[in-house]
Amino acid sequence: MRSTLVLLLLLVLAVGGAAAQSSGDRVVAATLDNGLRVLLQEDHRSPIVSFQMWYRVGSRNESRGATGIAHFLEHMMFKGTPTHGQGQFARLVEQNGGQDNAFTSQDVTSYYVNIAADKIDLVIDLESDRMHNLLLDAKEINSEREVVIEERRTRTEDDPGGFLGEEVSSIAFKNHPYGAPIIGWMEDLKRITPEEIRAFYKTYYVPNNAILVAVGDFKAPEVLAKIRAKFGRIPKGPAPPPVLAVEPPQNGERRVTVSKQAQLPIVYVGYHVPNQKSPDAFALDMLSTILSEGRASRLYKRLVHERQIALEAGGDFNYFALDPNLFWFWGTPMPGQTPEAMEKALLGEMETLKNELVTDEELQRAKNQVEAAFVFQEDSVHRRGALLARFELVGGYAEKDRYVERLRAVTAADVQRVARTYFPDAEKNVGILLPKP
Amino acid sequence: MKRRTARRLPIVFVLLALLLAAPAGASKPIAHREVLPNGIVLLVAERPAVPIVVVRVFTNAGAVLDPPDRAGLANLTGSLLTRGTAKRTGPELDSAIEFVGGSLSAGAGRDGLTASLSVLKKDITLGLDLLAEVLLTPTFPADEFKRKAAQIQAAIKRSEEDPGTVAGRALGKLVFPNHPYGVPVEGTVESVGKITRDEAVRFHATNVRPDTTIVAVVGAITVDEARREIAARFGGWKAPSEPRASVASVGGGAPPREETIEKALTQATILLGRQAIRQTDPDYFPLTVGSYVLGGGSASRLYARVRDEGGLAYAVYSYVNPSRYGASFTVSAQTRTAEVPKVIEIMREELARMTREPVTDRELKLAKEYLIGSFPLRLDTSSKVADFVVAIEQQGLGLDYADRYKERVAKVTAADVQRVAAKYFAADTFNRVVVGAPKP
Repeated sequence: MRSTLVLLLLLVLAVGGAAAQSSGDRVVAATLDNGLRVLLQEDHRSPIVSFQMWYRVGSRNESRGATGIAHFLEHMMFKGTPTHGQGQFARLVEQNGGQDNAFTSQDVTSYYVNIAADKIDLVIDLESDRMHNLLLDAKEINSEREVVIEERRTRTEDDPGGFLGEEVSSIAFKNHPYGAPIIGWMEDLKRITPEEIRAFYKTYYVPNNAILVAVGDFKAPEVLAKIRAKFGRIPKGPAPPPVLAVEPPQNGERRVTVSKQAQLPIVYVGYHVPNQKSPDAFALDMLSTILSEGRASRLYKRLVHERQIALEAGGDFNYFALDPNLFWFWGTPMPGQTPEAMEKALLGEMETLKNELVTDEELQRAKNQVEAAFVFQEDSVHRRGALLARFELVGGYAEKDRYVERLRAVTAADVQRVARTYFPDAEKNVGILLPKP
Repeated sequence: MKRRTARRLPIVFVLLALLLAAPAGASKPIAHREVLPNGIVLLVAERPAVPIVVVRVFTNAGAVLDPPDRAGLANLTGSLLTRGTAKRTGPELDSAIEFVGGSLSAGAGRDGLTASLSVLKKDITLGLDLLAEVLLTPTFPADEFKRKAAQIQAAIKRSEEDPGTVAGRALGKLVFPNHPYGVPVEGTVESVGKITRDEAVRFHATNVRPDTTIVAVVGAITVDEARREIAARFGGWKAPSEPRASVASVGGGAPPREETIEKALTQATILLGRQAIRQTDPDYFPLTVGSYVLGGGSASRLYARVRDEGGLAYAVYSYVNPSRYGASFTVSAQTRTAEVPKVIEIMREELARMTREPVTDRELKLAKEYLIGSFPLRLDTSSKVADFVVAIEQQGLGLDYADRYKERVAKVTAADVQRVAAKYFAADTFNRVVVGAPKP
């Protein structure tokens, strides 16, 4: 599906961070007594601020039978506290010219408000309030349940790409919660109780499980003092339970074929790969860029342009995954092409990567693309903030600067080695969507 | 695969409409403007902090110029500009720009054809060379033509599985029945199949021309430098002898119609739409405020009733979409099949209420403060600034439009909103499209 592919491309870019000369040294970092991590970066180019709360909780923290609860709670975070009633949060932000939204991923739940810099006190007020005082009224929960179910219909039931992605994830993971959809299974969405949502909130929405990032036109020491005053009052909670599930090794290929009203087939192929804790993550990241970033990238050039087998084709690796996840490949065959031919073409590219070194030009282009993406990212305070948070989530914002150095060190032999190691033909997960007339 | 699921869908349409409506706080002009001898309007905004440069070249060669039986010609022509020039093949262009981590693309919209460049400052020479090549010397290689036409046809076919796209196309036809705005920019599988390479070559030669071109340069570059670099590459570009194409504004709409498109889906997409007015009409400002109160944000009436109270939809919005030759006003929602009648009823009720009673002081204040106060957010990156200055120039609004907008919005009263709502929100004047299953 289009928006998924676009999103994935954006995320590939998001893996790029900031240029080496960027701003690690200008970040004011602090950890409050209650454990809240605070990262502030002054940026005086525009009179605005991007204020972001990142909670270390996503669908990976959910249990069977309660999938979708992290995202459900994200919706409820806009439903009011005793101080700021239902609808107040959005109203106050808009009335002050701000824009806000939130998203839930497998690993994290993030809230942001982008607003005129002189309104930062308001945002500190609102965010500190809903971190601890959310109402979670049963009637509101039941009404919002219907909204979440509508969202699931839009994203999954009525979207061929979303539908197939869910199926492939669920066969790829036997044990780890990455196998469940972020939005949650429909059965769970209908069942989850207000008590469970309240317990989930109490467990994970504690200052010691959150990162506050602000980038913009402010004086960091002043803002830090305000943050201490408001957030500092919130008591530290017990450490949230760690995710213990480990995905066992895959024994043999897994495959799913679904039939759905659609115009063209879709092919997904996923392989289990390590995350950023492995030194191989950098080579995997380079591999992903070489395959998918731009029209000169391999899958576009060969499958879309030269062979004209695919309308679209790409690959994606999530460097920031908190647990080992999948390296995804996808292709949409051109009309007249079969999903079998599409799959074969994708797998053929895997074999080429294993058998032949990528060229110096491909490797250098990929490095230049990632470095440039870091610089382009600096143009937006929102993206600067998100990038700090992403690196902080996986070990520290300062890793951002080392990341580029590590990418630069990747060789063609490294790329070939990770392709051989992580893309064994006998351990792939394949999903095919066949259009139903 | 799906990495995130968000509280609200980002609605690009809404943002663009607001962008055009953006007020300014400062009196400093947003960009330097001058007209080059061959008619190119050059707009430059210096943003020295980050070493990047963004360039947009807009020319009046949009889908509005497509011949009636060649819908998609502008779009196909635009997408072929980067597929081969006198100096380089398509893949060579791709490699050249991507090797420096930049991007170069071209494509058409309703009103114009745009080529976009983003590069690091250090690569500006290469970037501008490529940009000039694709605009001035595209070669439309026969194999690339065939390939691109087939890709566009495939993309059109696939878009038939997206209910929002299907509904939007159907509504466009009803709202603008006798105008190119009613025809999809990308055309249809059939119309694209009829287009020949010669037609694309001719479309480019006739319509991509300096005397209808706007060049916006934004980023780490000075006005002098931008003028020099643009003049060096585009200064000798001459307009063809043919006169510039003229386009009629949209006529009045036909009587409203209803269309239901059946698809085996669990959810239905509902669109209500009609013609509206653009920024040159003084009533545009009350209309914008009224649309915001009705369905503009998370505090709007439709959001409150349909989503917050009713649990009936994830996405529900209303928005004005102003373009050069006409404007539309749309109300949209997606809901489970069984609730379609109820959601349509709420939409109609809320439209009627806007005409019947004035908006409250609180609603008026919220809408105005949002529309005025969120301005800096809409111009916080070089890309957004470039898009904004091109849009106001293209629509003939003037570089001071932002300031005027702020004044106009600030003056809107509840009585103004009600008066304009009476003209544009009368529920019986809307076309209606529903895409989804006929029965639960």
